[in-house]
Amino acid sequence: MQKKMAYSFPDEVLEQVFSFIQSDKDRNAVSLVCKSWDEIERWCRRKVFIGNCYAVSPRMVIRRFPEVRSIKLKGKPHFADFNLVPDGWGGYVLPWIAEMAGAYPWLEEIRLKRMVVTDESLELIAKSFKNFKVLVLFSCEGFSTDGLAAIAASCKNLRELDLRESEVDDLSGHWLAHFPETCTSLVSLNISCLRSDEVSFSALERLVGRCPNLRSLRLNRAVTLDKIANILRRAPQLVDFGTGYYAAELQPDVFSNLAGAFSSCKELKSLSGFWDVVPAYLPALYSICPRLTSLNLSYATIQSPDLIKLVSHCPRLQRLLVLDYVEDSGLEELASSCKDLQELRVFPSDPFGAEPNVSLTEQGLVAVSLGCPKLRSVLYFCRRMSNAALVTIAQNRPNLTRFRLCIIEPKTPDYLTLEPLDVGFGAIVEHCKDLRRLSLSGLLTDHVFEYIGTYGKKLEMLSVAFAGDSDLGLHHVLSGCESLRKLEIRDCPFGDKALLANAAKLETMRSLWMSSCAVSFGACKLLGQKMPKLNVEVIDETEPPDSRPESCPVDKLYIYRSVAGPRFDMPPFVWTMGEAVRILH
Amino acid sequence: MSEVDMAVIKPEMMKSYIWLQTADGSIQQVEQEVAMFCPMICHEVIQKGMGSSKNYAISLPQRVNPAMLSLILDYCRFHQVPGRSNKERKSFDEKFIRMDTKRLCELTSAADSLQLKPLVDLTSRALARIIEGKSPEEIREIFHLPDDLTEEEKLEPLKNTTDDPRIRLLNRLYAKKRKELKERQKLKNIEVEEERVDDRSVDDLLSFINGDNGDSKGIKNSKSKKKNRRRKDQQKNTSANEAIKNHNKEPNGLNQVCCSAEVGQTVRAGVGATSNLHDVEDDIFDNKNELDDGDIDDEIDPALKEKIDREVEDFARRLNSDWPERMQEILSFGHERKPVHFSLNGNDSLRRYANSEQR
Repeated sequence: MQKKMAYSFPDEVLEQVFSFIQSDKDRNAVSLVCKSWDEIERWCRRKVFIGNCYAVSPRMVIRRFPEVRSIKLKGKPHFADFNLVPDGWGGYVLPWIAEMAGAYPWLEEIRLKRMVVTDESLELIAKSFKNFKVLVLFSCEGFSTDGLAAIAASCKNLRELDLRESEVDDLSGHWLAHFPETCTSLVSLNISCLRSDEVSFSALERLVGRCPNLRSLRLNRAVTLDKIANILRRAPQLVDFGTGYYAAELQPDVFSNLAGAFSSCKELKSLSGFWDVVPAYLPALYSICPRLTSLNLSYATIQSPDLIKLVSHCPRLQRLLVLDYVEDSGLEELASSCKDLQELRVFPSDPFGAEPNVSLTEQGLVAVSLGCPKLRSVLYFCRRMSNAALVTIAQNRPNLTRFRLCIIEPKTPDYLTLEPLDVGFGAIVEHCKDLRRLSLSGLLTDHVFEYIGTYGKKLEMLSVAFAGDSDLGLHHVLSGCESLRKLEIRDCPFGDKALLANAAKLETMRSLWMSSCAVSFGACKLLGQKMPKLNVEVIDETEPPDSRPESCPVDKLYIYRSVAGPRFDMPPFVWTMGEAVRILH
Repeated sequence: MSEVDMAVIKPEMMKSYIWLQTADGSIQQVEQEVAMFCPMICHEVIQKGMGSSKNYAISLPQRVNPAMLSLILDYCRFHQVPGRSNKERKSFDEKFIRMDTKRLCELTSAADSLQLKPLVDLTSRALARIIEGKSPEEIREIFHLPDDLTEEEKLEPLKNTTDDPRIRLLNRLYAKKRKELKERQKLKNIEVEEERVDDRSVDDLLSFINGDNGDSKGIKNSKSKKKNRRRKDQQKNTSANEAIKNHNKEPNGLNQVCCSAEVGQTVRAGVGATSNLHDVEDDIFDNKNELDDGDIDDEIDPALKEKIDREVEDFARRLNSDWPERMQEILSFGHERKPVHFSLNGNDSLRRYANSEQR
């Protein structure tokens, strides 16, 4: 029987134990153990991660976790990155900020991804949280530098301001001057997404100069090459640096100044930026290359020979983001020089061109898979692939956890055999037993989904486009992938059957996106009716779905589980399938 | 050390001792510098002048039994020596902490009652490491904790967000059904259940969509009746509902994020068991005028309730039906082309899979 005496603790002791348990998954497990643990856990939970801002309401979160200090929210579905989610769909953070302003006066950290943030929200943050420290806006939009000025001016203890990849209405570079002279707490500042060519450079310099703990600084394009040296000299303690423009006429004194400034940064491990690179200035980096672990050259239009030279100086490189100018030859060099490489992303320089503009093929990826034993994460854009190459990659690198292959032209077959790429991707899922994320491309039949359903037991996120033959494909994935959380599909012939037969599965996932598929409006309605814990959203910008027969396929479908019920901030082109007769709009 | 021994020692080598008494009555003396490492003991000695003799032994808190005291004193004896390096201390701690979970819990508790923070820290971290990566069931088992969260508290139905009694009823039925399936899972062979995961009759579901069982008609008929009833009943029950709302546990939808995987497993694993919803229906009709499970339950027209129950039952049956032949048909239909037989390191897995479909 239960030996309750031996295992019971006073609450403070349990709290202490829980304070050493930080991962969301573990905290969630703890809260499900029993009533008393749930109660203790919720009072000492300081960090909350909400993967879908519509899955739960702010009030619910606040009621359950009264002492939160740090919150992370995600809004729009991932396919928003590919412009598949129309503007105005949703993902507004203001309701959250408004509720938290009253409930969490001691909130310190807000991290948002793909959400709509307004200046009003930023002003509310600035006003409401006296101890506010961290603001990360990843791929967000809807705000301007006026909102940033409010944050800069009011947040006395601001440590992080990170605007990575956000769309900001850059009204004036002057907002930087709003940081008071007393602000010395900055640890991380990322303004790389600001578009305008104005930046208050003197304000920036002074800010950098008075923040001795600044570890990460990512500038935007407005900062010219000649200014970099000044900045670096004021912050030799930097660990992560993003340059602005890296182009200028070659002048020896500028060069030596820059090289000197870089070499004085003894802790620098990560570089990014590099818009418009003049290769002649790359050697200025050579002194820090041996220490570099992360290099983001995804904006750098430098050709393969220069890339090869640079990369060969970086033996400790763990993460490389680069354009396909690197070519197979560059990747072969990478494979031989960078044995610590864990993550590789190769982006297309000319995705819309009809013909390949560079010599980057599957061979480059095969070389890296062979030469880099720690490779775990791959994002690779290319124009041709073969089953043989994929099988080789799978056999070489069973430790892959993320594999995203984007063959630019849809439905491209194996270029050697003209067969579909089913077998190649099948090998990937079979060999890479810890694969968590997979993106498919090329010519694919239902077979690839059989393999995925059979072997992809740890797969959490799957992205599919222009693949499959029938509902069977979708059925394999939904019924086989036990760990699936996010599924996004576009332009595939998947219809009602598989979706309805696997309705219960959808409640175990965060979300499902299907656009340009064959799911009928009737099926959407049925799903919405029968599954009250799902929000079934039909998105159609051209006309309301009920103006057509029920058997007509819907344009876009976004299904996500929620305990907050249907949302009420939908634009006119989004309908939530709800109660039996009424469709909420 | 006994009193006899003490008498033999030369006076200049005499140490001071503190007398401690554990809850079981036994008394012992401990070197002063060791005992004083514990803040609680320190406090008793300094503030209250206790511990100087057997008659004035310090009564230790109940959570400190002799075995735990011995462990704690070992810890104190080591750490109170000032000259030790961090490396030594860390190494000692790592070895010290190796014990079974039961003792670890007792030790944490005991150390806490003696306010010995560094030891509480050490043991708490060790406990945290034990908890990390485990499922709620596993944690419950390790610590002998009761499974006392209700299914609703775990699943978090849509409380406070919709007034539609049908949706609330559906939620409650779903919650009950899941509980049932979970109980069945405990009794039945789990592997047998899981094999049936894929056996859902898609065609059945489709025929349901096309209105074979006349549900839509039923809904329309009872809806007009329901309207009048509902208005009256809602007024009647509002205050009661509010009271119940506050009484119930607050929604914690975030639980669903992690437990839904469990739920999904439960539902799928339970596939194949033809669920008997009669029990559930009886519950509803018996408790028509009471509040079941302390849940919010408006007065719903019994005829409508029946319709809903049947709907849910049908839908559940569709989800759970085991029609292996039908599914095989569907599966084999998609296999006009056999998968290419190539050897992946000569392993048979792919080939085996291909063969199974040729049945």
